[in-house]
Amino acid sequence: MSTLTKILIVLVTISSIFLCGIVVTYVALADNYKEEHDKIKTERDGLVEKNKSLTEQRNVMEAQKIDKENELNSEITRLNTEIDTLKGQLKNFEDQRKSWLQRVSDMASVVETTTQTSKETTKLMMDKEAELNKLKADQIKLIDQFEDTSTTLLEKLAVIQTLEKEKKQLIEEKVELQNRMDKLLQPTGRTPAPVVTVTQKPDEIARPAPVIAKKIGLKGQVTAVDTKNKMASISIGTADGVKEGMKFHVTRGDKFICDMLIIDTDAEEAVGALELVQEQPKPGDTVSTNL
Amino acid sequence: MSPNRRIRGGKVVPVANLYTIILGLAFCVVLATAVFVAYKCYLQYETIYFNIP
Repeated sequence: MSTLTKILIVLVTISSIFLCGIVVTYVALADNYKEEHDKIKTERDGLVEKNKSLTEQRNVMEAQKIDKENELNSEITRLNTEIDTLKGQLKNFEDQRKSWLQRVSDMASVVETTTQTSKETTKLMMDKEAELNKLKADQIKLIDQFEDTSTTLLEKLAVIQTLEKEKKQLIEEKVELQNRMDKLLQPTGRTPAPVVTVTQKPDEIARPAPVIAKKIGLKGQVTAVDTKNKMASISIGTADGVKEGMKFHVTRGDKFICDMLIIDTDAEEAVGALELVQEQPKPGDTVSTNL
Repeated sequence: MSPNRRIRGGKVVPVANLYTIILGLAFCVVLATAVFVAYKCYLQYETIYFNIP
């Protein structure tokens, strides 16, 4: 064996050992690409599935979005229509509000005027009522005075009647005495001298003719009473001589109940307002023009 | 043809010397490497052949 062959054998052996070492080291340290490939492939399949499901989900969501958009568009259209309607109604309401405000201001002025008029009327009514009360008091006083005067007059008339009777008796006595004196003095041719009285004769005064008053004398019964309006109706009317403005006295037995001023008449019935109410009248109470 | 070949009874008898051992060692190393590579390939790729999937 030549030396060159020996050298080549040694070199081949060394190089083969070196290269085999490198190959072993490389193979031992090499990555498992199949495993990585499978892993990546699995991940990719998962991602593809996920992408697919997400795509389907997106399609569903897009469909829902389109439906929702359509629904919202229709809702927006409806709401716009409703807004237009409400705007029209609002305009009408504003017009009505303006007219009502105008009416309210008019009514306020009317109310103010009415209130003022009412105040004036109330004041006037109170004045008139005070005046009426005063007149009623004067009337009552005058009635009292009239009654006193009537009583006095009656007494005076009675005294006058007595005096007239006495005067008549005196005149008769005077005539009798005159006749007797004439009988006594005529045979002697004398006449009695005229009598001079101490008390002078009063001048003849024209006496007023006595007032002859005829009582009306209407009498009836209360048929109905309206307590709320202080009104009552009676059982006699124009056929019996009742006239508007007549005053009746309502009595129950000997008790004075109230007065009634006739304000409306019918043939068989009359209606009047109650005055000077002492007690509430009832149907059946007696009404008469004279107490 | 090795020059150191011996002829015994008309037959050629191979000479076993140091360089033959070295060559045998190199062969064993290469063989072990090939077996290791094949085992590793089988273990990782389930085949000992190279192919493109």
